Amino acid sequence: MELEELRNEWQEMSKEIENQKILTDKLIIDMTQNKFNNKLKSISIPETIGTFVCFAIAILILINFSKLDTWYLQVSGIFSALFYIILPILSLKTIYGMKRIDISQGNYKDSLEIFAKNKMQFIKVQKWSYYLSFVLVIICLPVASKLIKGTDILLESAVWLWYLPFVFAFLYFFSKWVFKKYKGASNSAEELLKELDLT
Amino acid sequence: MQKQQEFINLIKENEGVIFKVTLVYTFNEEDQKDLYQEIVYQLWKSYDSFRGDAKISTWMYRIALNTAITNLKKEKRKGERVPIDYSLVSKIDQIDTLMDDRIKLLYNHIKRLNTVEKGIVLLYLEGKSYDEIATISGFSETNVGTRLNRIKQKLKSQIKK
Repeated sequence: MELEELRNEWQEMSKEIENQKILTDKLIIDMTQNKFNNKLKSISIPETIGTFVCFAIAILILINFSKLDTWYLQVSGIFSALFYIILPILSLKTIYGMKRIDISQGNYKDSLEIFAKNKMQFIKVQKWSYYLSFVLVIICLPVASKLIKGTDILLESAVWLWYLPFVFAFLYFFSKWVFKKYKGASNSAEELLKELDLT
Repeated sequence: MQKQQEFINLIKENEGVIFKVTLVYTFNEEDQKDLYQEIVYQLWKSYDSFRGDAKISTWMYRIALNTAITNLKKEKRKGERVPIDYSLVSKIDQIDTLMDDRIKLLYNHIKRLNTVEKGIVLLYLEGKSYDEIATISGFSETNVGTRLNRIKQKLKSQIKK
């Protein structure tokens, strides 16, 4: 069947579809209002809670920084606090960037382009966040131990003997999964950008 | 209140358009219902920005298509939905009986086109001129023509397989 024929049949079908009125006034009002509330909820809850938790931990580390009495604990403390501040901010920024596309202004091409670029940016940040969080898992342990128990875990505990191998094994398998997960999404965004450039 | 009533009338007049956009961009009823509500919500949100300097259909298609692409494979954090299940399900059933097998088959092939092509072919099937497709999509008229030719070839080869 040629596209022209399909177009004629499509329009015949459209006439039938458009004759069937199903929406009521109440349903339309509900859709706009209910959605509005959900939109606010869905954007704010997980990211906001996560960010506040991270900020609280960072503040806790900075307030108690004087308790970190060796150079390696201080370095770990600084990096941990930085991670807890920077990672959620970057993550939130890219998520909001994806949601901030002005649907009413741009045309289809512009919106697709912005969406694909933001998606790639989001994927990049998420990927790096995953990798950096493993560094965090390692450096936060001595900091947490010192701040909570007052012990230098590097000198006074054998916990590293099982903790490090466990973390690295986990890191290996989890990274493979992360890479696979984001590769597909990244490829589709790249393909979309290429398709937009076609003339 | 008057604005709201105008909006309701607008949606009622064009519910078929929204429905067809959701049909092309989704692969299951659940996603279709979600997208339908999202489009109505986005249309309401941007209703103030519609000042009548563009054709209402141009504005509507633009918002609907933009919403469809920005909701592609979004995270599953959807929250509650208005219970429109019954209405949409019955509408889907009705459409099913309307489409003969040939149309259904071609329709499934359209769903397999890439995101850019889907938008262009949808506007073409909706009877839009190259000029209108160019205005809504942002591609030049020549580019729209080239892309439609490619789509024709693609559909033909998909159907042959």
